[in-house]
Amino acid sequence: MNPNTRRALEFVLDNLVWFMLLFVLLVFSIFVPNYFQPGIFANIIEASSVLGVMSIGLALVIIAGHMDLSVESVAALSAMAVGIVFCSAGIGMGVQLTPDWLGVPVSLLIALAVGSAIGAFNGLLIVKLKMNAFIVTLASYIWVRGVVLALSGGRSAQDLAPAIRWFGVQRLLGLPLTAWIAILCFVVFSLIMAKSRFGRHLIIIGGNQNAAFRAGIKVDRILITSFVLAGAIAALAGWLLAIRTSGATANLGMGLLFNAFAAVVIGGVSLKGGVGALPGVYAGVLLLSAINTAINLMGLPATSTQVIHGLLVLAAVLLDTLKLSIRQKLA
Amino acid sequence: MTSFAPLLVLDDIRKNYGAIEALKSISFTIGKGEVVALLGDNGAGKSTLVKIIAGGLEPTSGRMTFDGRDFLAKSPSEAKAAGIETVYQDLSLATNVDVVANFFMGREITRKVLGMSVLDEKAMEAVVAKALASAGTRIPSLRTKVEHLSGGQRQAIELNRFVHWGGKLVLLDEPFAALGVEQTRRGLEMIRAVANQGIGVVIITHIMQQAFQVADRIVVIRQGVVAGDVATKDTSPDAVVNMITGETLAAAGAAG
Repeated sequence: MNPNTRRALEFVLDNLVWFMLLFVLLVFSIFVPNYFQPGIFANIIEASSVLGVMSIGLALVIIAGHMDLSVESVAALSAMAVGIVFCSAGIGMGVQLTPDWLGVPVSLLIALAVGSAIGAFNGLLIVKLKMNAFIVTLASYIWVRGVVLALSGGRSAQDLAPAIRWFGVQRLLGLPLTAWIAILCFVVFSLIMAKSRFGRHLIIIGGNQNAAFRAGIKVDRILITSFVLAGAIAALAGWLLAIRTSGATANLGMGLLFNAFAAVVIGGVSLKGGVGALPGVYAGVLLLSAINTAINLMGLPATSTQVIHGLLVLAAVLLDTLKLSIRQKLA
Repeated sequence: MTSFAPLLVLDDIRKNYGAIEALKSISFTIGKGEVVALLGDNGAGKSTLVKIIAGGLEPTSGRMTFDGRDFLAKSPSEAKAAGIETVYQDLSLATNVDVVANFFMGREITRKVLGMSVLDEKAMEAVVAKALASAGTRIPSLRTKVEHLSGGQRQAIELNRFVHWGGKLVLLDEPFAALGVEQTRRGLEMIRAVANQGIGVVIITHIMQQAFQVADRIVVIRQGVVAGDVATKDTSPDAVVNMITGETLAAAGAAG
């Protein structure tokens, strides 16, 4: 095989999920009435912002060879904390700050503090006490959601302070600022993973933790940092969720975890650790969102989305196996 | 006994696992620029000893002097900082990243971009290309992930890595297990070249011929004690085999 074909093939394999996304968009544009219009595409991006941000944190931990099932509940708790403080109806306390834009950094800080604290708790148990990540974060998934229920008493907070809502209303180039925040997160964390020492070490730990330790990499510190980041990023997703829904309900974000897993796997991140990149994860998120939009437009029952998502995850794993065998032939 | 200035002195090193004595009083010296072959049957305690020197294990008791100072590494990074490089039997490569990333694992070169440290891939690739070329190792692309390379190529990367980073003492735990004849020969030459720079080398091997080819001195460990410590030129393979199996003890230097 000559080097150019080889390079082209490698490029396609590395960015397979983007090609899938383009293909799906093309097919839907041709066959689904009213699909091909800027508003629909903007809607796909907008609808994927919360899931997208959450997937980043999950992907970081999975690339490092671990697991974080708590991200969904962490997002819900952060959203609830913001809702309780800054909503004026329901269980909201309606706290007013002057000037009112101060609510933006303060609400964000509240969310991030909640998320980082739970992330640090998970990370310490997993890294220092060597407990199983799956079990520790499954427990957090349950108890954090329990805290949300207890805090809210099953009721909801509505009417988020307008200064914070502004991010969901104000548009730039046809997209709400919340969508831009998600895109910015993907850009920043993609750069961190590809260009920084931290990102490089995280990938190496995911590939061979023992080798990383022998090479003098501070494995424990980096792993704990990744869990704190996953918590903080999930909290940011929760903050965006509170803005999107202008408040918080006790069952806010239910089911997001499995969509995040689906997006991460479709995006080419291996659950074995060490493999995958964030741009692919974003494509995975957009792919899910594009399919949801098509289902809505075609008037299919919303229940069918779950079946399709499930099949899509299977297809992604199948594709991954196929990619591996092609690569082995290339090498 | 040796003409080399002492680099690492082991004095009465012991290691117990519960009631089991893996090492019972190990004492010997490794000189600067000296190649010491560590031989012994399976389970004799060679790997345990290497791990103690490399900071992967702590001894139950005993003293080590490294480069004239008291020394005890609590972690591999401490040993590395002191100048001790280790090549383990099971390779320490991350197969999910490329050759360059493995070569610079934990020591990445960065440059400042807008005040932030960014990996300097070009600089790192240039260093790796030079290091591999001067060692005569050929790998098609330095950007290939290590999982796509053969066992021999992997071991070559690992060996080149220690040659490049050098330090003061190199520990090799069966470094040639997956190498072909030609690569082994080159590996042995690399060890000689490293020692000629004044770096101490400890090589664990099962292959008598390799020990005699490359080592200045042969230390045999049997059942957790030093069963023989002789200059290579004063002994013979048969005598060393006897030391390993225990038919004769320390006086083996006179044999052959």
